[in-house]
Amino acid sequence: MADPAAIAIRNLTKIFPVPFRKEKVTAVEDLSLEVQPGQIYGLLGPNGSGKSTTMKVVLGLVSPTSGSTEIFGRSSLHVESREAVGFLPENPYFYKFLTGSETLHFFGRLCGLSGPRLAARSRELLALVGLETAANRRVGSYSKGMLQRIGLAQALIQDPRLLVLDEPTAGVDPAGSREIRDLLLQFKQRGITVLLCSHLLGQVQEVCDRIGILHQGRLVSEGPLESLVSVEDQTECLLRNASPELLRSIQAQAAAAGAEVIQIRKPQTTLERHFLKVTHGVSRDASTQPSPQHADVHAP
Amino acid sequence: MPTSTPLDPSVPVRHRWFSPARLLAIASNTLLELVRQKVFYFLLLFALLSIGSSLLVVQFTFQQQFQVLKDVSLGAMSIFSWLLAVLATAQLLPRDLEDRTLYTILAKPVPRFEYLLGKLGGVLLLLALSLALMSALFAGVLAWREQTQLALIQAATPPEDLEAAVQALRASTFTPSLGLAILTIFLRAAICASLTLLISSFATSSIFTVIVSVIAYIIGHIQPVARDYWLHSLPAGQGVSPLVQVFLGFVALFFPDFQLFNLVDEAAAGNTIPFPLFAQTSALGLGYAMVYTFLAYLFFSQKEL
Amino acid sequence: MRARLLAPVLLLGFGFAKLAPESLLTRVRQSANLHTAPVQISLRQNLSQMGFLAALSGFRAVVADLLWIQAHTAWENTDWGRMKLLLDTVTALQPRAVVFWDGAAWHMAWNASVSALENPAQPRLALRVKAQREFFRLGEDFLLRGIQNNPGRQELYNRLGMLYRDKFEDHARASDAFAACAALPNAPSYARRFAAYELSRVPGREAEAYQTLKKLFLEGEKNWLPTLFNRIRFLEEKLNVRPDERLRIPEGR
Repeated sequence: MADPAAIAIRNLTKIFPVPFRKEKVTAVEDLSLEVQPGQIYGLLGPNGSGKSTTMKVVLGLVSPTSGSTEIFGRSSLHVESREAVGFLPENPYFYKFLTGSETLHFFGRLCGLSGPRLAARSRELLALVGLETAANRRVGSYSKGMLQRIGLAQALIQDPRLLVLDEPTAGVDPAGSREIRDLLLQFKQRGITVLLCSHLLGQVQEVCDRIGILHQGRLVSEGPLESLVSVEDQTECLLRNASPELLRSIQAQAAAAGAEVIQIRKPQTTLERHFLKVTHGVSRDASTQPSPQHADVHAP
Repeated sequence: MPTSTPLDPSVPVRHRWFSPARLLAIASNTLLELVRQKVFYFLLLFALLSIGSSLLVVQFTFQQQFQVLKDVSLGAMSIFSWLLAVLATAQLLPRDLEDRTLYTILAKPVPRFEYLLGKLGGVLLLLALSLALMSALFAGVLAWREQTQLALIQAATPPEDLEAAVQALRASTFTPSLGLAILTIFLRAAICASLTLLISSFATSSIFTVIVSVIAYIIGHIQPVARDYWLHSLPAGQGVSPLVQVFLGFVALFFPDFQLFNLVDEAAAGNTIPFPLFAQTSALGLGYAMVYTFLAYLFFSQKEL
Repeated sequence: MRARLLAPVLLLGFGFAKLAPESLLTRVRQSANLHTAPVQISLRQNLSQMGFLAALSGFRAVVADLLWIQAHTAWENTDWGRMKLLLDTVTALQPRAVVFWDGAAWHMAWNASVSALENPAQPRLALRVKAQREFFRLGEDFLLRGIQNNPGRQELYNRLGMLYRDKFEDHARASDAFAACAALPNAPSYARRFAAYELSRVPGREAEAYQTLKKLFLEGEKNWLPTLFNRIRFLEEKLNVRPDERLRIPEGR
C-alpha cells in the first residue's frame, strides 16, 4: 500500500450559519486536494476565500459540514491526527506571562514530552529559530518577528511530519521574512511537509512546489508551480557585456527564423534584494542573534 | 542556520486519550496565568477586614467579638472565593480565543475535554490556594485575639471561675466545624466556577457570562423557597396562576440550592456541623460541578473555533 | 445532536434528579436545627433593599454584624426604642448566633431596665418600676425566643437563670433554668450548684433542695464552696435536721 498523503481533503464543504438569520455562508465548497509528503504546498487566495477555514478543518478546529479531511491517513476528527502536525496560526500571540523557553516547555508537555528530552528539544529549537538570547524573556516583550519564530518553534516541538503555516510572514520585516523562507527550505530538505497559506505571492513562488488557488470557497487552479507560471511559447536569455551590434544581429536572426523578439531590457533585481543589500540583511529583531550565515544566505 | 535533529524515534510519543501530565500542564499554566494577573492583592484587603473587624468591636464581650470576627472573615472568604471563581473563569475561554492560544493548544494532540478540565483545574487550584492563605490569615488573627482575651480573663477572673471562663473562651474560637465550613465555601466556589465555565462555553462575551453567573448565584439562594413552594404548597391547591407555577418550577429545576452550601453561619455561631451532613452536602455539590462541567464540554466539543 | 438542544434536556433531567436530595438535605438540616430559615418577609421591612439582597445572597451574617454595631451605638445614645428594633432584626437575621440573643437580652434586662428606673423624666416611682419590669420581660422574651431557635445551647438557659434570679427574683424558675442549663453539653460546672442554691430559696421545696445539696456535697471537694455550706446550714436549721444527721462540714469553711 502506498504511503498516505500528508493531507487528503475530499469533497470538503463547510457552511457557517449566520446567527439570527436564515441565509448561510458557504466558506468552502466541494474542495478536494492532496498534499504529498515532502512537498511545500502553497494554498493561495484572497481574503475570505476559505483558506483559513480549510486549514481549521484539517486541524480539527472546525468540523466539516460534509466531506472529510485526513492527515497521514488519520481523520482530522480524531485527536491522534494532531500528533503529526505542527500549526502556526496567523498573528499568533502566546501567553504573555511565559518566557520563550517556558512557552516551548508548555507546548512540549502538551505533546507528551518531559524531562531532559524536552529541555534538550526546546534548546535545540530556540537555536534553530535564533532565539537563544531571548529564551528567558517574557513573550509579551517579543517583536512581531520573534513571535512568529517562537510560533514556528512551538509548531515543531514534537517533531511533526507536517507543518501548517498561516501567513507565517505577515507583519514581519523583509530580513525576518527571508529567514523564515530559508527555514522552510531547510524543513523541506529534512522531509517535512509544509502547507503554506499566504497571499504574498512572491514568497510563495520562491518556495512552493505545488500551488492551489481558492476563490470564493472553490479551488479554481491547482498544479505544480512551473506548470502554472511558465509561459510555454517564450524563452528568456540573459547576456552579459552584449554590444548593441550583437543585439541587433540577434534580432535580425530571430526575425529571419520567424521568431518574435518581444522585449530587450536591463534585468532588474527585486526590491527585496535591494532592501536587504542596503540594510545589510539584518533586521532589528535579528540583531539579538548575529548570525554569520546571513551574508551567504542573502547574497543575491 | 543550525540544523535540528529529529527526536529519537526509539522513544515513541504515543497518544493517550487521557493524560494527567497534559491536564496538569494546562492547569498549572492557567494557575500561573491567574497568579501573574496579581489577583492575590485581595489578600491584603482580606487581612485588613479581618484584623479591622476584630479591633473595631473591642467594646463587646469576647463572645460577640469572636462572632463578628468569624462572620466578617468567613463572609469575606465566601465573597472573595465566589468573585474569584466567577471573574477568573469567565475570562479564560475568551482570552485564549482572542490570543489564538486556543488554536495552538488544540492543534496539538490535546482532547477538548482535557483542555476544559485543565482550565477549570487551574481555577480550582487558585481557589484552593487563596482559601488556604485566607484561612491561615484568619487562624492567625483568631489565635492572636484568643491570646489577648486569655490574658485579660486570667487577670480578671477569680480562680474558681477560671476554668469555666477559659472553657467558654475556647468554645468561641477554634472548632472543627470551622474547617468543614471553609470546605463548603470551596465547594460553593467550585460550583460557581463550573457554572461559569458552562455559561462561557456558549456565551459570546465575558460580560454576558459574568452577569448570567451572578444572577444564577442570587437566584440559587432563593431556590429553596421556590422549590418548597412548588413541591408542597402548589399541590395543596392554592390559587396561583399557571405562569407563576411555571416560573417556580423553572427556578427549582434549573438552579442549584446555594443555601445548602451555607454552613458558615452555623460554624461561626459555634454550632457543630455533623460530618454525615457535610459529606452528603459535598456529594451533592460534586454532582452539580460535574454536571455543569459535562454540559460545558458538550458545548465546547461542538464549538467552531 | 446539537448541544443547544441536548444541554437543556440534560439539565432538566438533572433538575428532577436533584430535587429529592436537595429536599432531603434541607429536611435533615431542619431536623438537626442546622437550617437557617429563609429570611421572613416581615424582616424585609426592617432592611434596606441592598441589605435584603445581601441577606438573601448568603451574606446575612455580615449584615447582622453591621446592625449589631448600630445597636451598640444606639445603646451609647440610650435610644432604647431604636435599639430594640435593631436587636430584633439582628436576631431574626442570625437566629442561630447565640451571642446575639444573649447580648440582646442583657441589654434589655440589665441596661435599659436600670435606665428606666432612674429615668429623671418620670417623677412617679410606681411608673418607673413598671417600665423597669417591662424591660425585664423584653429580656426574657429574647432569651425564650433564642432558646426556641437553639434548644441545645446552654448559654441562653444560663442567662435566663441569672435573669430570674437577679431581676425577677423568681427562685423557682431560676432553679429550673439553671438545671436545664446544667443538663446540656458544655455547661459550666457551677450550673448544677446554682440550680440547687435557687431551689433552697423556694418556700416549700426545702427538703428537695436539701437532698440535691447533699448529693453535691458528697461528690467531693470540687463542690465545697462557702455558698454551698451556707445553704446547707440554712436548710438544716430550717428543716430541723438532727445534729448527728447533719453533714460534717470541714472546719474553718
